[in-house]
Amino acid sequence: MDILKNKINDISAFFEKTLFSTDKRPLVGWFCTYTPEELIVAGGFIPVRIFGRKKIIKSESYFPINFCPYIKSSWESLLSGADNLKAVIFTNSCDGMRRFFDTANKYLKDTPSYLLDVPHLRGVDSIDFFANNLNNMKRFIENLNGKKISNKEIKNAIILINKKRKLLKKYSQISTKLPELISISSYFKVMELSMISAPEIFTDDLERYIKFIREADTENMTNLQPNYENTPGIMIIGNFITEEKLWGMLSTMNLKLASDDLCISSRYFEKQIELGDDSDFLNLTAERYLNKPQCMRMADLGLKLKEIENNIIKNNIEGVIFISLKFCDTMLYSFPLLKQKLNDLGIPALYLEIEYNNFSEGQLKTRVQAFLEML
Amino acid sequence: MGIKDKLKTGVQRNLNQKYIRRLLDIIAKKPVLFAYGSTFSSLSDKYLNIFTIKSLRNAYTDNNHPVGYGSLFLPYEMFHALGITPFLPEVMAGFTAGLGLATQTLKEASSNWYSQDLCTFHRSASGAVELDVFPKPDFVITTNLACDAAQKSFYIHSVKYNIEKNFYLIDVPYEYSKESILYLTGQIKNICMDISSKSGIKLATSKFKEVISLSNEFRKWAIKVNNLRKTLTNYPPYYNGLNFILPFHGLAGTREAVILYNQMYKELKKYLDKEEKEKSGKNKSLKRILWLHLKPYYKNEIFNILERENCRVVFEEINYIYWPELDPERPFESLAKKMLSHFLAGRIDNRINVILKAARDYKIDGAILFSHWGCRQSNGGARIIKDSLNKLNIPTLVLDGDCVDQNNSSQGQVKTRLQGFVEILNS
Repeated sequence: MDILKNKINDISAFFEKTLFSTDKRPLVGWFCTYTPEELIVAGGFIPVRIFGRKKIIKSESYFPINFCPYIKSSWESLLSGADNLKAVIFTNSCDGMRRFFDTANKYLKDTPSYLLDVPHLRGVDSIDFFANNLNNMKRFIENLNGKKISNKEIKNAIILINKKRKLLKKYSQISTKLPELISISSYFKVMELSMISAPEIFTDDLERYIKFIREADTENMTNLQPNYENTPGIMIIGNFITEEKLWGMLSTMNLKLASDDLCISSRYFEKQIELGDDSDFLNLTAERYLNKPQCMRMADLGLKLKEIENNIIKNNIEGVIFISLKFCDTMLYSFPLLKQKLNDLGIPALYLEIEYNNFSEGQLKTRVQAFLEML
Repeated sequence: MGIKDKLKTGVQRNLNQKYIRRLLDIIAKKPVLFAYGSTFSSLSDKYLNIFTIKSLRNAYTDNNHPVGYGSLFLPYEMFHALGITPFLPEVMAGFTAGLGLATQTLKEASSNWYSQDLCTFHRSASGAVELDVFPKPDFVITTNLACDAAQKSFYIHSVKYNIEKNFYLIDVPYEYSKESILYLTGQIKNICMDISSKSGIKLATSKFKEVISLSNEFRKWAIKVNNLRKTLTNYPPYYNGLNFILPFHGLAGTREAVILYNQMYKELKKYLDKEEKEKSGKNKSLKRILWLHLKPYYKNEIFNILERENCRVVFEEINYIYWPELDPERPFESLAKKMLSHFLAGRIDNRINVILKAARDYKIDGAILFSHWGCRQSNGGARIIKDSLNKLNIPTLVLDGDCVDQNNSSQGQVKTRLQGFVEILNS
């Protein structure tokens, strides 16, 4: 059993092709899950989500102390040129991101940047407006390599990214079903890879990986389930939480990640672009992105709470861990209502605010342990 | 104890809606209002306070008109055209600071899970809503123009009052374009129609035209005031351009705003005429300061220190008239253009352009950006603002503080930093 578990959690082995890709297409960076990777792929680029991962040093002189640590870390990364990007796509996700775009535009002269305007409302008018903005983004990408993007290229890119989303969802469902086999760390490692790799190679690797797990599952299913019967099903709600040490810590604890509402997981892969007879691909793309599980930045917080409530009921959630990066206004403002909603549902919640790339494990472990004991 | 101190102590001791309503009813009575008005040193200050009291009284006690919570930067002309009494929680948060109530309201917000990292304007307002101090709204209207906080905190207010269906967000696009105007015009029109249908108040074209004309009239006087200030150095006692947030936004489209700005023009003109007559009296060593963002609304020494150091704030970016004249024949589109023209919408370049224009127009020697705790949209651009002004050899002080919570700001540090800045200006 342990041998199988070790094998399944050896992500580097399963995703060797992804990790050591020889794909030489230039990279275009992005930050927010409202960025349609489809247009980047259609333009002949590899979409790469910027994870930062840099220690904040120079960034401190560009942004105030109480400013999003993810933005600061990403700015550090852009300043260092470590990602070797052809261009960067920003969105008007929040105040911080808008000022980040301004800063990049001003001080990062060699890397073109573009800000995609994403409406805060849903509805027909917003979709039309967003589709028009996507057309402007398409033009920006076309200018990067002086090549027009055809309708066919967009369609092919949609099919590819749809496939990636579908596989990620499958993987997420399997992970929820088999917490004994797939660690939380591995789950989020795969999610991260999905956002920073050539989608064609990644989907091939993921398909093989899922196949392997399914086969292993069929052989071991009966042995695996009972261990987790009495383990509380937890839902993690948060923003750009990518702390490997946190996932590592949770992997060693007595909990089952039964659902999440994170922009590095379900908010990224849920909902497909519905390709039908309509050949207005930008409109279809706009429709998918505005109607996907929403980020707290969207106007209708009530709808967001409903989404969360549905997930809690559907997945038999017993406790919620709310994790926000510090100084994220849209997340922090969602908590008073979320807390009220969870109280109404009788679901206990743990509130955590964390830094980025600066994880204090001891203190958090104690709090999570106490929370799990309470459950 | 003067009438103002009595009011302050009274509210501090009885922080509840009933008391505030009773108080407003008493003050709004003519003889009392007259006595209250006479405590102010200038007519414009008097008008500002009387109009504020009247506006608050309407929000607290007038049952004939619906009350609408509104965030800053909304086109309040739509409120006045619809006969909705505006109530501006963010402005009221400034009042909580001025009246010494912020400690209570902020504490209440914290106990309702509002993180201390959030802007205190919104936290204090949220605390006041939780304490049930504000009047109950019939509608809640907000916008994402400039900052994220309002759209979130206002939605929570609507839940608190169980009127989520009467919550409206005006989603202001990032760029000024034909498509953006169309998208925004549609939203403003739909919101007005929806409110009209829910409240039963007919949206009369003639009323809207009248409101738009009044807004243009207010705009005309505000521009005249701003033009006068380009050369003015001496001001009426206690004049502070950062005190006019409520009329500048909430009263746009009313006769009160026209009267106030007309009066302000007359007063400042008198000072300017006097200055021009007595040229020798002109203070040549005075350092002219451009103020960016807002100020602390509790008792503080900032402006006294500046005064003592022979520095004067000659313009505040928030008083910049950013929008073109409105077209009474096309009210919705005009209001959309007004919102899209705001210098805090879109790229920081829009704000920089206004700052640099003001720097030239007002011949400033230095700029102070008050870095209000938790204001990501403003503070996130501080480096770019500083660098842009430095190119014109204009020193900029980024002064850390808090507009509402005096416990989050060190007076000593503020003093030291201001004095250091003045030394740079004088060097």
